[in-house]
Amino acid sequence: MPALETLRGLRVVASAESLDVAAWDEGAVVLRFAPDDAFAIGAINIDVSDEHAIVAEETGFVGMWLSVSELAEQVLPHIEWPLPDARPALCQGFIAGVPAKLWVTDDRALLICACSYADELAERLQ
Amino acid sequence: MNEFVERQLTLQWHEPKKSYDVVIIGGGGHGLATAYYLAARHGIKNVAVLEAGYIGSGNSGRNTTIIRANYGIPEAIRFYQHSLDLYQTLEDELSCWVMYSTKGIIWLAHTETQMRAERARCLLNVACGAETVMVTPQEAKELCPQLDLSGGGRYPVMGASYHPAAATARHDRVVWAYAQGAMRHGVHVLQHRTVTGLLRDGVRVSGVETSAGPISAGVVLSAVGGNVSTIAAHADVRLPIRTHPLQAFVTNAHEQGFGPILSDTELLCYVSQSARGEMVIGAEYDPQPSYSLRSSFNFLQSCASKVTHLLPFLRDLRILRQWAGICDISADFSPIMGATGVDGFLVTTGWGTWGFKAIPAGGEQMAELIATGRTPELVERFGLDRFAADRAMADQGSAGTH
Amino acid sequence: MLWITCPRCGRRPVEEFGFGGELRGVPERITDPAERDVDYAWMYDNVHGITSERWFHRAGCRRWLTLSRDTVTDTVTG
Repeated sequence: MPALETLRGLRVVASAESLDVAAWDEGAVVLRFAPDDAFAIGAINIDVSDEHAIVAEETGFVGMWLSVSELAEQVLPHIEWPLPDARPALCQGFIAGVPAKLWVTDDRALLICACSYADELAERLQ
Repeated sequence: MNEFVERQLTLQWHEPKKSYDVVIIGGGGHGLATAYYLAARHGIKNVAVLEAGYIGSGNSGRNTTIIRANYGIPEAIRFYQHSLDLYQTLEDELSCWVMYSTKGIIWLAHTETQMRAERARCLLNVACGAETVMVTPQEAKELCPQLDLSGGGRYPVMGASYHPAAATARHDRVVWAYAQGAMRHGVHVLQHRTVTGLLRDGVRVSGVETSAGPISAGVVLSAVGGNVSTIAAHADVRLPIRTHPLQAFVTNAHEQGFGPILSDTELLCYVSQSARGEMVIGAEYDPQPSYSLRSSFNFLQSCASKVTHLLPFLRDLRILRQWAGICDISADFSPIMGATGVDGFLVTTGWGTWGFKAIPAGGEQMAELIATGRTPELVERFGLDRFAADRAMADQGSAGTH
Repeated sequence: MLWITCPRCGRRPVEEFGFGGELRGVPERITDPAERDVDYAWMYDNVHGITSERWFHRAGCRRWLTLSRDTVTDTVTG
């Protein structure tokens, strides 16, 4: 399995309406942690209309890209809840008992957790 | 014939009367001990104890029987030390073997913060008359040779406090001993009699409504566990109590030789060995309030994971039983004893996860309070009025688990 | 085991959540302002039955939600 590496991007906390229509950098993977909270992996710039928006460089998460088979064999056995049917989908909750997130697309998936849990998650997925 | 059936047959059961001087709701340790001391010490024998199930079927029969006095505030230490003293002479007082066994409790610390807290607790305990000393990891290992001082490589032990007087007793026997003592003095213990309401005479409480008709009383004392808010609501009394389940489990019998009680400030779990050789294991109460007695796999999993870090030999044992009780956890983690502001209605509650050790002193002090109409000095700070007076008795750190 | 449905993340085991307390109210019959303050600060309904309460999805979206739960059966009712 690949290793968990620091994910670089922008963390944006802003009104849900402004995030819905925000313009992100081409190629950025935008994860909506909550209606008013987004993490745009690979983004450098963002155009968001909310004047109270908080935009900060985010280095607090680690992640690893997985193939569909790696996801099925190495991660899904550690998840107690069902994955949604829609793709792409952001799933958040315990993975192997550690607070983590999973960005699932048709052909691959990104496993994410806070960097402080990285070693714990990696150990538990072994 | 098992011990329980035998005891039920040999106790002197009475036909209920229509009226008593004192009616106690709840036939657990606290209710029965109060009845016993009322009759034996104060000559108040026209007393009934009403129990919805069988005696000791609530938290008295579900706790992990740890008796200790190493609490975190002076009033609590003095009170629990007095209870411990009463426990030590209980077998003589009640002419009944309750399997009291002094074991000592080791309270492990893993960080400098926890060490400071334990050192402070030692000083306070000693000042208030409950012997507690700091021990090094090596001394802890001598007291408990099965202990892994590295904590499974994850929770290295930095030191511990040791309270040598800590003990266990057999819970059912304590309940039966008080029931027998009370009944011998003429107290009526009425089993399978559920209290469904309180009789009111104007504002005052004048008795109880039960599943088998009303019973009038001069004084009604609620000594129930988890369901106290429901009883108090019948008298419009509001309590700073939330009912949380507390779970525990035992393993199959292991060779005798696990001497002390082991407790942990970081992991909030504790382990002792019963007289039958079973390892008795418990931890924190469930975070959300509930009246459900269901056990959960999550508790078993997380608690087993914690204790096997400290005691690797537990991994080879099997789990025999798991159970839950519902605990009346007070807002400041101290008991609430005495007047409620409604005439004729008293409570002894807020015993949370820590009530078993308090049975003798709780019963003795409540009996004195009822008999004399005055709050004894030992428990005067534990009144319900402390919340309105902004004198809460915060003691979570030492009361939260057992 | 108790499962909670988070409106953003879906159905999850209770361990992912933090209990934030029941929605509290002071009974109407308490009229004295000082008594109402004491009740608000300290007293609990400790409902035996269905209660409304706040939960925090700690391991998921990290947002609050309100739900109804039956404290007798420990099941979520809405």
